[in-house]
Amino acid sequence: MASDSSPINNGPSSPDDSPSSPIGNTFSSPGDAARRNRRRGRSSTPSAFDTPPVHRSRFAAAADATPTPSRSRQRSGGAGRPPVTPTSTDDIPASSEGGDGFDMDDARPTFVWGTNISVEDVNDAIQRFLRDFREASSSQNDDDMLQHLHTEGKYEKLIKQVIEVEGDSLDVDAHDVFEHDPDLYTKMVRYPLEVLAIFDLVLMNMVSRIKPMFEKHIQTRIFNLKSSTTMRNLNPTDIERMVSIKGMIIRCSSIIPEIREAIFRCLVCGNCTDPVAVERGRITEPTICLREECQSRNSMTLLHNRCRFTDKQIVRLQETPDEIPEGGTPHTVSLLMHDKLVDAGKPGDRVEVTGIYRAMSVRIGATQRTVKSLFKTYIDCLHIKKTDKSRMLVDDAMDIDNSEGRNPEEVHFDEERVGQLKELSKQPDIYERLTKSLAPNIWELDDVKKGLLCQLFGGNALKLASGASFRGDINILLVGDPGTSKSQLLQYIHKLSPRGIYTSGRGSSAVGLTAYVTKDPETGETVLESGALVLSDRGICCIDEFDKMSDNARSMLHEVMEQQTVSIAKAGIIASLNARTSVLACANPSGSRYNPRLSVIDNIHLPPTLLSRFDLIYLILDKADEQTDRRLAKHIVSLHFENPESMEQDVMDISTLTDYVSYARKHIHPQLSDEVAEELTRGYVDIRRRGNFPGSSKKVITATPRQLESLIRLSEALARIRFAEWVERRDVMEAFRLLEVAMQQSATDHATGTIDMDLITTGVSASERMRREAMVQATRNIIMEKIQIGGPSMRLLELLEELKQSTGSEVQLTDLKNAVATLASEGFVTMHGESVKRS
Amino acid sequence: MGGPQYDFLSNPLGAVRSTFEKAMASVSDPSSFNSGDWGAMDLFTNFLFDQSHHFQVPVLTPASMRWIKPNTLVRFRGMIQDMLGNEFYVGAYKDGAVWRTNKFMDVSQFPIGPSADTRIWERRLLYCVPVPGLNSWAQISSEAVTDQCMGWTSEQREKRPRAEAECSDMTVSSEEDQGSPSTKKMREGEQPSLASQSRESEIASSSFSLAPVPEGNSLHCLVKVRFCLRRSYEVYDSPESELKLNEIFEFVGILASDPEIQEDNVDNDLSNEFCEDPLRHFPPNKVVPRFHCFVHRKLAAQDFLQNNPIIEPKLDMVKGIREALLRHLTAVLGNDDVAAHFMLLHLLSKVHSRVDSLAVGKLSLNLTCFSKEIVSIFGNQLNVVVKNLMPFTHCIPLTVEYLNTASLAPKKNYDINRLETGALQLAEGSHLIVDETKLEAGTLNSLGVENARLLNNLVEWQKVEYDFKYYKMDMTTDVQLLVLSEGKSNILPADVIVPFRPSAANCSEAVTAEALEAWRWYLATVRQLPHSIESEMQQVVENDLVAARQADRSLNAQDLSRWLTMSRLMSLSFGETSLSLEHWQMVKELDRLRKERLK
Repeated sequence: MASDSSPINNGPSSPDDSPSSPIGNTFSSPGDAARRNRRRGRSSTPSAFDTPPVHRSRFAAAADATPTPSRSRQRSGGAGRPPVTPTSTDDIPASSEGGDGFDMDDARPTFVWGTNISVEDVNDAIQRFLRDFREASSSQNDDDMLQHLHTEGKYEKLIKQVIEVEGDSLDVDAHDVFEHDPDLYTKMVRYPLEVLAIFDLVLMNMVSRIKPMFEKHIQTRIFNLKSSTTMRNLNPTDIERMVSIKGMIIRCSSIIPEIREAIFRCLVCGNCTDPVAVERGRITEPTICLREECQSRNSMTLLHNRCRFTDKQIVRLQETPDEIPEGGTPHTVSLLMHDKLVDAGKPGDRVEVTGIYRAMSVRIGATQRTVKSLFKTYIDCLHIKKTDKSRMLVDDAMDIDNSEGRNPEEVHFDEERVGQLKELSKQPDIYERLTKSLAPNIWELDDVKKGLLCQLFGGNALKLASGASFRGDINILLVGDPGTSKSQLLQYIHKLSPRGIYTSGRGSSAVGLTAYVTKDPETGETVLESGALVLSDRGICCIDEFDKMSDNARSMLHEVMEQQTVSIAKAGIIASLNARTSVLACANPSGSRYNPRLSVIDNIHLPPTLLSRFDLIYLILDKADEQTDRRLAKHIVSLHFENPESMEQDVMDISTLTDYVSYARKHIHPQLSDEVAEELTRGYVDIRRRGNFPGSSKKVITATPRQLESLIRLSEALARIRFAEWVERRDVMEAFRLLEVAMQQSATDHATGTIDMDLITTGVSASERMRREAMVQATRNIIMEKIQIGGPSMRLLELLEELKQSTGSEVQLTDLKNAVATLASEGFVTMHGESVKRS
Repeated sequence: MGGPQYDFLSNPLGAVRSTFEKAMASVSDPSSFNSGDWGAMDLFTNFLFDQSHHFQVPVLTPASMRWIKPNTLVRFRGMIQDMLGNEFYVGAYKDGAVWRTNKFMDVSQFPIGPSADTRIWERRLLYCVPVPGLNSWAQISSEAVTDQCMGWTSEQREKRPRAEAECSDMTVSSEEDQGSPSTKKMREGEQPSLASQSRESEIASSSFSLAPVPEGNSLHCLVKVRFCLRRSYEVYDSPESELKLNEIFEFVGILASDPEIQEDNVDNDLSNEFCEDPLRHFPPNKVVPRFHCFVHRKLAAQDFLQNNPIIEPKLDMVKGIREALLRHLTAVLGNDDVAAHFMLLHLLSKVHSRVDSLAVGKLSLNLTCFSKEIVSIFGNQLNVVVKNLMPFTHCIPLTVEYLNTASLAPKKNYDINRLETGALQLAEGSHLIVDETKLEAGTLNSLGVENARLLNNLVEWQKVEYDFKYYKMDMTTDVQLLVLSEGKSNILPADVIVPFRPSAANCSEAVTAEALEAWRWYLATVRQLPHSIESEMQQVVENDLVAARQADRSLNAQDLSRWLTMSRLMSLSFGETSLSLEHWQMVKELDRLRKERLK
């Protein structure tokens, strides 16, 4: 046992001999992992087996180590071998000078093998760091002494917390280390094995000073390195260094118990050995019974239930799609997790991992000594952090209950970026620029793009104390002729939006959109699987070919679009899931081309109830306009013959756009001022008033409260585009304009040319209703004239002829049928097939 | 280099070693070969291409596998089907006082002492398969292999069953390492230096076949390539040689010598766990050879021509070939002139740029009016013609059952850590015929719906979604799609729909081998020509487009875009590189004729 006195000697501990050690010792990696584990995991198992473990550092391993770590300057490294071990130089002088004094009175400083890194220096640096580090505001040297008295160092506080909760690890932010001592940071990244070992040692000493009886061992977990690499860029120079990579977990092995200490029993005399620790990944079975009286050979057997095991798990991490270059396949890397890190992530999680990159040689066969010249690489994991899933960070202001356990780290822009974005937002033409940057290869359609922009930014959601809530999401429907690039717009928004889900109406079923219940094949439990709408919670759900969707599926949308929830009641599960999603749908007119003589409702066969839930309905019509045609022609020609890059200038790239939108959604919450509220009210009343034609009994509804809500959302979104905290008058004006543009297109009654919300809400315009009434009246007159009560019946076609004569205009049979049906419901006539009879 | 002429063909490793020694004489530490090479690469490149010994290198095929000796120089052509990541290995180590190299080898010749000073290098593993759908005429025949001097001439076999073509898959693993320490005296007493790891990645590829290997016909290969992906990349690799999935390469290298290597049948706990590495599930060496690559180059369609004549395409000659080919196509298509014209343009199309998600330049063709009888007469004929003209072709008979069962998209299998190929994992420039005539009414299951969507995406965007289980990745492709259907195909909305109107049943005459070769050359070469448009012509085109749209509102952006694609292809078919008025009008006329048929 004494042989493993210096952990650094028997492992590939120093970076330069690292390649050799895996070769020299086929088991070195496991061994070393094991050893490390021993160091890290179990403080209570020092290698010296005769000393009862009293919270000794994992390095106090020299055979002659004194059990009390409080003796100062006990150096265990033998004179002969390169002195390596950071031995129990544990006693910490109260003043920082004590640390400096170290080198002075020690003639021969201890170095990490093969480097010029002095163990003492590192030791002191770590001590200083743990003791002195304070958050940026308070760490000035001048007042050091003063502060000592008043504030506690960040990590001293943390250590106390850990002790209090009996935790077993201390998370150390590498940024803090860098800030405090860049040199220490460099050493730590370069020689993590050694430095971390010293780190643990120092930490344990501090712990024992704070609470001498603390039994558990506390490990240091470094996270948040200054630079993280991608999996693709890991290369041989990174071996034995600390790296930080991001990726997605694709596989977790089952938990493997790894033996740490074994106890053997002699079969002859029944004597049990002391615990034998793992060495180089192996347990050496004693060949001879140690009892003086027995001394029998090869009599030892392993006592399984007295051995100690730790958890180990192997996890495979794969690159996330955004890191894969074109034409490549994702790379993977293995992670080795120990103890608490086991099961910290599950397949599908995106994580950021800090660990030590290691290589392990491959043997040809179990029994052969020859080694392939190959290595397997893995990352010995120190810290794992789950990162957010979506591209644009989802956490945003449309959320009402911000408090629910959300990780504040999720949305993280560095200050430079924020500055850039803010700079951008100050530009007077930012609204126009954003519009231009949105789907730049789709020409024209500026107003539609502006609407989509508002949708991306969104309004504020509101929840009243009474429980009523108002959505902040803006729903948009695009209706238009085929070939007007609706689908491209959808695709674009889908790519850009947070948690965008793209579905096609034809291929979507109601359950696919909302949620469904399935039986878990393994456990047999019923589980709720989310559909597209639930998955796009806080995002935009893009539904193509909305008109082709089955009615059943569409009816599910009613709840989603206003209440923003999906309710499920089946198979023993009753649930209401959040679906705070904006819906962007597009539909083709039912007759493949839009018929301007029919209303929207007639053109797309959508129920008015659903239609009214869209804030903006755009008609994208293919107008015969030579200007547009020429632009189109130019666009297409340049697409084919020119460098497409050259034609777009002054356009934000997609990542800036994404950042801009996510930053705004997260940080900007515009509010309505009284003045603006006044403006909104006035505008709304104005629109309503337009429906009253002086001297006409016709009452046209030009706006409904739903439109007022839409207006509020739109103005909020517009303010957000400017990064403004208050909605201004111009936002409201623009919102009115947007709404009106959309209304004019979709809700214009083509018979009269006025906006008529009845078209949207009921599907029948006011003028149409008046026409129908006139028709009924005329029919009634004719019937009164021609048919006596109880007299012979009259065929519909005859009636139609009569009607045509009397009104002197073309009358449709369907209109007549409708009129007769109305009369029949009044009890005025009865219908038998084609014949009409007065009752 | 004034040194001795190495025997590159039969003892390439010797050349590697001796150059390494030579290089080590001037440098004290192999880590100085960081840029990847100590000169061996240049030597091989020079030997192969400048001295044109290229054709003498035998080609690795299932047949030649039997007699090719390990550790000799061989060639292998294949498509990169999967990338297995990088492999670290001991690139150079000190044997006593002598530096040796392991580059291009799986096992070191000399035992590496436990304390040895070593350098770790990196190589890339690529799993390569023979180009899917490679037609027999484009293969290097086995005779050519044996006859080393005549390397490229292959027998002219026509119309071999496709299955045969498909079954020679091989994975090439090409290994490019950096400095290989060969026996080299190092200064004694030198400190073991820090592991000098070379950053260049070497691609180590061992070959293995994925599918149950059909009768030795298919040769997969795991290629180990020393690939300077990063820093040293520019040193000896031209930019085009960046290895991408689904690209076709020719690798020159050696077959791994040691067939005894088995994967650790691990008794040791830990390594077992880590062995989730790709090689673990490989069939043994014999089935999937491992191949260390010295040099690799990307292949284009021209490289598959048998007598690759490097001829400057002259206008009148091109025109002549064009006429002949058009005549042939017309004959094959039952004297349907319009269809033949479209067919020609279709065969010349390729995606030449992408604007956002739009693939510009594709021209998928849907020949409609293929009733049962017409299919029986022309379907097969058409298939044969395409096979004879294009190097890689596929045919998918679309049925409900096929849609419901086939795996079209490649899918990552995490159990064996491999990308399982799908029918749509095709090399760039493949030709795909989808025969929809056999499609009947039926119900699609979820896989069927997914497959239909994949096909649709392929036609519309030239993209295939690869399934990586936790996410999907769009891979761009460039596949020419020909759809045969009775009515307009809805699953595959092709760019051009041409109703097929044959007037004669069978009037195709026999074709001479020379003619075929000329046509293949024509199709492969003309496609690659650059193309531009003069500004006056651009004005004319724009005016025409506007006028056409004013006249007919139903024209949309796709129609106009199609015209431009066609006009480009039309002028290319004449071997011209800029659009002329004449060709523009031909295109308009052609489209008018087509429209008339549609009525």
